[in-house]
Amino acid sequence: MAYLLQRLLTEAAAKQPRRAAVASSGCLLTYQELDELSNKMARALLRRGVAPGDRVGILATKSAASVVGIYGVLKAGACYVPLDPKAPGQRLSYVVQDSGTALIVADEARTPQAARLLGNVPRPLGVVVAGPAGTDGREQAGTAVTGDTAIVPWSEVAAEPGEPLTGERSIETDLAYILYTSGSTGNPKGVMISHRNSLTFAEWAAAAAGLSEEDRVCSPAPLHFDLSVFDIFATCRAGACMTVLPEGAATFPVSIAQWLEQERISAWYSVPSVLTLLACYGSLRKFDLSRLRTVIFAGEVFPPKHLARLMEELPHPRYLNWYGPTETNVCTAFEVPPGHADAGPAPIGTACANTEVFAVTSEGGRVTQPGETGELYVRGPSLMRGYWGQPARTREVLVRSPFRPEYDELVYRTGDLVSLDPAGNYIYVGRRDSMVKIRGYRVELGEVEAALYRHPAVREAAVLPVPDELLGSRLRAVVTASDTGKLIRQSVLDHCRRWLPSYMVPDVLEFREALPRTSTGKVDRVGLALE
Amino acid sequence: METVINEYISQELVRDPELLPLADETSLLESGILDSLSLLQLVVFLEERFGITVGDADLLPENFASVNTICAYLRAREPAKQATRG
Repeated sequence: MAYLLQRLLTEAAAKQPRRAAVASSGCLLTYQELDELSNKMARALLRRGVAPGDRVGILATKSAASVVGIYGVLKAGACYVPLDPKAPGQRLSYVVQDSGTALIVADEARTPQAARLLGNVPRPLGVVVAGPAGTDGREQAGTAVTGDTAIVPWSEVAAEPGEPLTGERSIETDLAYILYTSGSTGNPKGVMISHRNSLTFAEWAAAAAGLSEEDRVCSPAPLHFDLSVFDIFATCRAGACMTVLPEGAATFPVSIAQWLEQERISAWYSVPSVLTLLACYGSLRKFDLSRLRTVIFAGEVFPPKHLARLMEELPHPRYLNWYGPTETNVCTAFEVPPGHADAGPAPIGTACANTEVFAVTSEGGRVTQPGETGELYVRGPSLMRGYWGQPARTREVLVRSPFRPEYDELVYRTGDLVSLDPAGNYIYVGRRDSMVKIRGYRVELGEVEAALYRHPAVREAAVLPVPDELLGSRLRAVVTASDTGKLIRQSVLDHCRRWLPSYMVPDVLEFREALPRTSTGKVDRVGLALE
Repeated sequence: METVINEYISQELVRDPELLPLADETSLLESGILDSLSLLQLVVFLEERFGITVGDADLLPENFASVNTICAYLRAREPAKQATRG
């Protein structure tokens, strides 16, 4: 049998055609509908010239329509590249160009933006509108052409036959998606995930979370964030219903709590900062959240004080701490027992099924005892295929095992430092390099510095993380500039906002005559951090 | 009051320069200016600046839809304080 992500959908649709697959504002799709609509989408993509292995952008919020788009792309044998609708145009242009994307599936409202993004692509295949539209959808007639870019309206996609396509167009080692994440040299880098990589996670995750076809699953993570792989594919593996938190509700903790009750959500997966807000400001006791059975968090350390409060407010669900960089999918897990949060941060736990993790000390030995610290390495079928178009950087992180040099199999160096607790669980200690987490998003300080350097007046820049309980970190930028006029601060900030997503824009911007130096002439980051 | 709040939001919370200048009736939610974390930043500012406490139950879209609705909410809550502060 083919080991492909879209088979999760075709199998669920055959088994339980009339069960709900996706619920988003004003739109509910059964498994049969999702299967048929994504067949239509795949045909529309093939008709526009999409070939196996092509990259297809998805410029859309999470919705029934974007899930139709994702499965359509996979069924066409292509690989999807989520484009963050909230990212600045410059960054999106970079992702489109770097990935060689020639076609974008977009929600109706983002069609013009998608056409603009394809404006600099040598041979664009066009924009295909994702549907069905939610409550505010609007129909267009006939394929329109904006500049050089053809736009296929949803009505044309919906007119394609919904029967299954004949034959498979991909195999399990082909790419299913590319997720762009912060890159230390100034541009985001594309993490290539194959069908097998993602299925390894989806299979494990559905079992570990105990999902069944009765579940209603929600993750507020956007499509470009790898947490979204859980609610799209693990939910489908279990035949459960993926439920999309409306954008309007996501802003207000009480609205989220109210929505959780109203939608009878039974499994939730998010970064800790969203759960912290719910625990502190969600008035959780006012709502009937008895259906919520499983709460999973990942992406950053959950401040123990807030986790304790959440578990006190909502004592009945299971609480799971999952760990894993985008490059490995989730590779370790820990179930937080009641009362544990008072003892300090939750461990990241032990390896997932079919995965091996080990930690290597700075002397090159294996971490085996509590008290020893080392860098975490991961081995298994969930590891990425590499960074798109960057073989040299791939070789820095996908390496031969230091303990099994005779094996060809590569292992992934996470850059995360860990130690062991007496029970054999790994504990997250910190980073080996200059990556920080903000709301669970990875931020390479070097990428923020590179953006600052692109401003014509900036001479030198150092970006430092400032620990923040709610966000994980805030960013403080110290710069020297050739222009000290009044408008320079606003100009530098505006510049950052044009290049960087909002969570990467420095919160504090300081101007100096010169940056402090160490005796070797490097910028004294330690000294700056202590100020 | 409108000016103080508009200035704070414009300077501290607006990430997209194209949204400036900010009108008092602009939707802070549809424009994406307010998300779950910037909302809390704003609440902390309002609590400190106007000497009030914003309860969980008041953290609602109708109160935080725009600069105007925030001011209406503050006036409804703290009529006495508003009078003395001018």
